[in-house]
Amino acid sequence: MRKLFFYVPLVLFLALTVFLLSGLFSDPRERESASLNKALPEFALADLMQPQQIWTPQQLHGETFLLNVWGTWCPTCNAELGYLTELRKQGIKIVGLYYELPRDPAFDAPFNLKVLQQDVAQKLQQNGDPYQFNILDLERRLSLDLGVSGAPETFLIDSNGIVRAHHIGDINPQIWRAKLAPLYQQWSQP
Amino acid sequence: MKYAIGILLLLLSTVLNAQELLQFDNDSQRDLYRSLTAELRCPQCQNQNIADSNAIVAVDMRQKTYELVRQGQERQQVLDYMINRYGDFVHYQPPLNRYTLWLWLSPVLMLTLLLGTAIYRRSKQSQQNVDTQGELNTELDQLIKRYRSKKP
Repeated sequence: MRKLFFYVPLVLFLALTVFLLSGLFSDPRERESASLNKALPEFALADLMQPQQIWTPQQLHGETFLLNVWGTWCPTCNAELGYLTELRKQGIKIVGLYYELPRDPAFDAPFNLKVLQQDVAQKLQQNGDPYQFNILDLERRLSLDLGVSGAPETFLIDSNGIVRAHHIGDINPQIWRAKLAPLYQQWSQP
Repeated sequence: MKYAIGILLLLLSTVLNAQELLQFDNDSQRDLYRSLTAELRCPQCQNQNIADSNAIVAVDMRQKTYELVRQGQERQQVLDYMINRYGDFVHYQPPLNRYTLWLWLSPVLMLTLLLGTAIYRRSKQSQQNVDTQGELNTELDQLIKRYRSKKP
């Protein structure tokens, strides 16, 4: 009994070491998203390319799709366009949510839709166009309601308009295979 | 006279320029806005509050906090609004639930364990002292007895 007591500090120390070591390799950005398993928030936002078209969540029902938050100003988003285009060719529906930068009225030129459209068209021509269409979130209200912390982020939305996955960061072949493809399979089955 | 007016204008200019960027209806709204932006955490640049951070999302959250405070919402309503969207992560004061209970419980447990061991060891040691004292006494008694029985 006394001998067993002798090992208690060692065991405690080892337990602490394992705990701290696992902390070294864990991703602090990995956390449960608050928007999971909730319906898409209400919105009525214009299409980026055809501003007269207004999108609402109800119009997006009926098909499982990826909602990809992106902007031409974001290098990681531009880098993932190529792989997302490949996914589109495999028959996966991807909708873009264009995350526009905030404007400082003292320093920035006022928002110009024409300039943005040209910029986007050019980027999509260069890197590939994965999007069925793009929704322009000019004031980032939908993004705030979805709990977006930056770009790029991707949501998996099922056919009833419920958020089923929230991925922070880019999508590459490894992440698609390991994390998102199984969820897509699961939620796209009728 | 000309100089006096000039100086007066110069003095006034600082006062007139001291206009706030954000306008509030009253001081309690301003205090609420300050305390909320200090304890809401930026989801993008971790370990900064939204008052400190200039990430896009922090700018938007500050703006939203401002709007909600101006609408006259209570502290808890604004916090709930943000927690609904960004999770408990976004508030620097975690709620008490079955996951966070250990944060409060583990120091108390450790302290009781420590005190328990200390008391246990002390009582055992004093018991041991009494025991050895008793042994020594009997040994001494035996020696004395032997010595006495030898003498005559």
